Amino acid sequence: MKAKITGLLAGAAMSALCVTSAMAEDLVIFWAEWDPANFLQELVNEYEAETGVSVTVETTPWSDFQTKAFTEFNARGSAYDMIVGDSQWLGAASTGGHYVDLTDFFKKHNLGEVMAPATVKYYAEYPGNSGTYWAVPAEGDAVGWSYRKDWFEDPAEMAAFKEKYGYDLAPPATWDQLLDIAEFFHRPDENRYGVAIYTDNSYDAMVMGVENAIFSYGAELGNFETYEVDGYVNSEAAVKALEDYKKLYSYTPPGWAKAFFVENNQAITEGLAAMSMNYFAFFPALLNEATNPHAANTGFFANPAGPTGAQHAALGGQGISIVSYSNNQEEAMKFLEWFIKPEVQKRWAELGGYTAHADTLSSEEFRQATPYNEAFYQTMFKVKDFWAVPEFAELLTAANQRLYPFIVGDEGTAQETLDALAADWHATFKKYGRVE
Amino acid sequence: MSDLTIRNLFIIPTIAFLIIFNIFPLLYSLGYSFTDFRASTNAPANFVGLQNYHYLLTDPFIWRNFTITAKYVIVSVTGQVIVGFGMAMLLNRDIPLKGLITTLLLLPMMLSMAVVGLFWKLLYDPSFGIINYGLGLGKFEWLADPDVALYAVALTDIWMWSPFVMLLSLAGLSAVPKHLYEAAEIDRAGSFYTFFRITLPLVAPIVMIAIIFRTMEAFKTFDLAYILSSQPTAELIAIRLYKMAFLEWQTGMSSAFAYIVLVMVVAITNIYVKYLNKVKER
Amino acid sequence: MAAVRTPREIFLNRVAIAAVMVVLLIMLVPIYWIGSTAFKPRNLATTIPPTVFFQPEVSPFVKLMTKRSQLRKPVEQEVYDAAPWWEKMVLDGGEKVVRTGKGKIRPSGYGQRFTNSLIVSIISTFLAVSMGTLTAYGFSRFKVKGEDDWLFFILSTRMLPPVVVAIPMYLMYRVVGLNDSHLGLIILYTAFNLSFSVWIMKGFIDEIPREYEEAALVDGYTRIQAFFKIVLPEAMTGIAATAVFCFITAWNEYAFALIMTNRRAQTAPPYIPSQVGSGLPDWTVIAAGTFLFLLPVAIFTFLLRNHLLRGMSFGAIRK
Repeated sequence: MKAKITGLLAGAAMSALCVTSAMAEDLVIFWAEWDPANFLQELVNEYEAETGVSVTVETTPWSDFQTKAFTEFNARGSAYDMIVGDSQWLGAASTGGHYVDLTDFFKKHNLGEVMAPATVKYYAEYPGNSGTYWAVPAEGDAVGWSYRKDWFEDPAEMAAFKEKYGYDLAPPATWDQLLDIAEFFHRPDENRYGVAIYTDNSYDAMVMGVENAIFSYGAELGNFETYEVDGYVNSEAAVKALEDYKKLYSYTPPGWAKAFFVENNQAITEGLAAMSMNYFAFFPALLNEATNPHAANTGFFANPAGPTGAQHAALGGQGISIVSYSNNQEEAMKFLEWFIKPEVQKRWAELGGYTAHADTLSSEEFRQATPYNEAFYQTMFKVKDFWAVPEFAELLTAANQRLYPFIVGDEGTAQETLDALAADWHATFKKYGRVE
Repeated sequence: MSDLTIRNLFIIPTIAFLIIFNIFPLLYSLGYSFTDFRASTNAPANFVGLQNYHYLLTDPFIWRNFTITAKYVIVSVTGQVIVGFGMAMLLNRDIPLKGLITTLLLLPMMLSMAVVGLFWKLLYDPSFGIINYGLGLGKFEWLADPDVALYAVALTDIWMWSPFVMLLSLAGLSAVPKHLYEAAEIDRAGSFYTFFRITLPLVAPIVMIAIIFRTMEAFKTFDLAYILSSQPTAELIAIRLYKMAFLEWQTGMSSAFAYIVLVMVVAITNIYVKYLNKVKER
Repeated sequence: MAAVRTPREIFLNRVAIAAVMVVLLIMLVPIYWIGSTAFKPRNLATTIPPTVFFQPEVSPFVKLMTKRSQLRKPVEQEVYDAAPWWEKMVLDGGEKVVRTGKGKIRPSGYGQRFTNSLIVSIISTFLAVSMGTLTAYGFSRFKVKGEDDWLFFILSTRMLPPVVVAIPMYLMYRVVGLNDSHLGLIILYTAFNLSFSVWIMKGFIDEIPREYEEAALVDGYTRIQAFFKIVLPEAMTGIAATAVFCFITAWNEYAFALIMTNRRAQTAPPYIPSQVGSGLPDWTVIAAGTFLFLLPVAIFTFLLRNHLLRGMSFGAIRK
């Protein structure tokens, strides 16, 4: 009996070990679960065809992408060779020693010029202006808008709009127009609503939405050099931006207190909202007849300008980095050399990826490829981003804790909210010795 | 082999295993709770004394997490006791297929909390969920409305765990000697009198076990609430702790937080075990 | 059982039966709904009014097992015609099957996660029950100083919130390299189930009369022989019930799996909710994954039905 038990145990242990080792693959890239990751899989299939090195794109949903990545990094795990990580992770991942320094690679291939400037600045460099690079810009992304063309182009609606607001109904060029149009189409009796915006407070969704407004109104989150926040994030322009974001919230469909990309796409597919905020990367589903019954009637526009004429958008998108615990770093480096070739970047764009490659991006071919590529192209030159410091997660938590009760719960004023946020952020920066 | 050797051989490995994998880790994190350690950086841990504990106990957001958890425990345990005990009263009689019905009723509590949370999301959906449809609630927001989310989570918990209270109550009810009821009938006692004077006092200890056990479990709830709702108004202690440790990587701070939670759990566990022994002695 | 006597009692009994039926219906609708959604075509999964009658399909299961990607333009007719039946199901949904560089179909992560769940649950159950049975025997048959305190200590380990234990375990596993490994998860689940198995097995073994062993000892058996030849066979029902309980606990565990595993050793519970995924969630696929995952537990619940009470009360209450 004893021998039997020992035998069973040994067998069990063996099988456990076998499962672990049988999964060895040539290269593994980790990314979030979304269409671009599938496009990337198609692209790397071609790498395998050329070189015989197989590459697998592993995915996990956005909601736990950050946690999964950092539990793996901090455990110094070698499960992933490369990671297509969010821009705000750069600080944490580089100072934590999780990413391989790609500065030499960057200089050798002159990537600072080959890739679009905004993508280099936000996806690759940390600290800002240091000339140290940790990633190769892979997927450009930013917040844009989709809208219902058929509603906008309905003659009766156009006439009524002109009558009420004194100008023609068209995709908004300014935030004021955005607010007007949202108000105009907001008809709860008809089960039609003005606008869909981000309100989910679990990761960075709502913050990105609010950022969109704050940047366009000419305000900043803070001074990224000195870490001063008072007078920036609670400036007059920022307060106005937050007030207007809250106003937009009042034109959302019922139950819009927890919305991110899924809900905002649904707002269009279910015919709920006239306009919907979303990252460009989520737009393919809106062009697919099988998932969007209104596909033919869906249009797209870039984030409108604010009252001062400033026009910016919150940055999404990711750079591809090599994980420093990987056992295949050389192989990964070779892959990156392949990845940055102009013809590969062109192929990447054809497959549906949002290349960061400047020449491909500005080509006529790319800009005409889909109904939203033009808006994307325009947006990529005016993106701005959240803090990329190692403690960004705490900054996000504070932003969620302060902004959410104001926008959704109607607590306090915009000024009080942003003052409190500035104080929280200052305290965090002080805790990490960035300010006195 | 002597009996003593056998006893030690049988018992010591288990105790050692539990100490290594339960007690030692806790001692390990006790040390970290006095530091500013972050597992996400290579920076060494600095001793900060009681600063973490002080910060946590004075942070208004953390206190809100405790209040939310208390509210959740009260609502969900009360609901489970009412529904579960009610179901037990109904079932405590001659009913055809009683065994099968009881087993079917017990099914929810055997399922995975995470997966239950997931499919209740489908049921709660404001536009196509069958709950709104069945109750004629239109587009009622169960999970997105900050004022409702916590109760929606509690409702799912009630669905899942009322059968547990039912199971224990049934055991208690079936143990009430039949002759007591017969005597009450001879005395022409009303059904209220019978319930409050005979049934309740005899079933109470076992229901108490169910209540304490569920209180403890509800206090620890993570899976269900984490999957169902990320509303700040439904952020239970375990969720806040998880975020602090594995999202913000404030390892030292979260170790301190874990200790505060631990002390509370041990207190409830003590009460629970006292009651277990009491019932066992009967 | 005593026969029902008065018309009033007959009436009350009928009312009770009707009420029980209503309660049963309410309790089971959620489970039925997830099961039926697993067999629905995607367009019927989120209709109002809800679709109750429909032609069942296996397409959710096909999609569950394959990695898919949005079609950005319709496929050519000849490609569609050449596709096998299951691939047509995916194409019909406006998606295509993702392939590897060698043209092989990429499976979704579900199969691997399900297998991981099986490996981890079965091995940890085996370990917890075998150690638990021995320890229970030790406590049941021999004098142990401070027995109650030891038993309380054993039980208390079960009561620790997973997230509290996960923080130091994560750090310790990082040192020894057990993060994201089957072995790491097996150890955690064994520790978690061990206390349960000691408590409940002690109840079962206490019920086996000592006279059986004593007779065997008189016949010249050693203590060990008596344990394996007399006690174990008698305790078999209890062992089976304990094993099923441990298996279900390990099978359902979420928090540790979420924190301690990643690509290699992840089990199904953290994986399934993560499939709400990108763009627009396909509830039929989520339901299919849920259905397959809940099925074993549903079957086990029926096998266990006579032991549920004892299991749920840590052996404190028996029937």
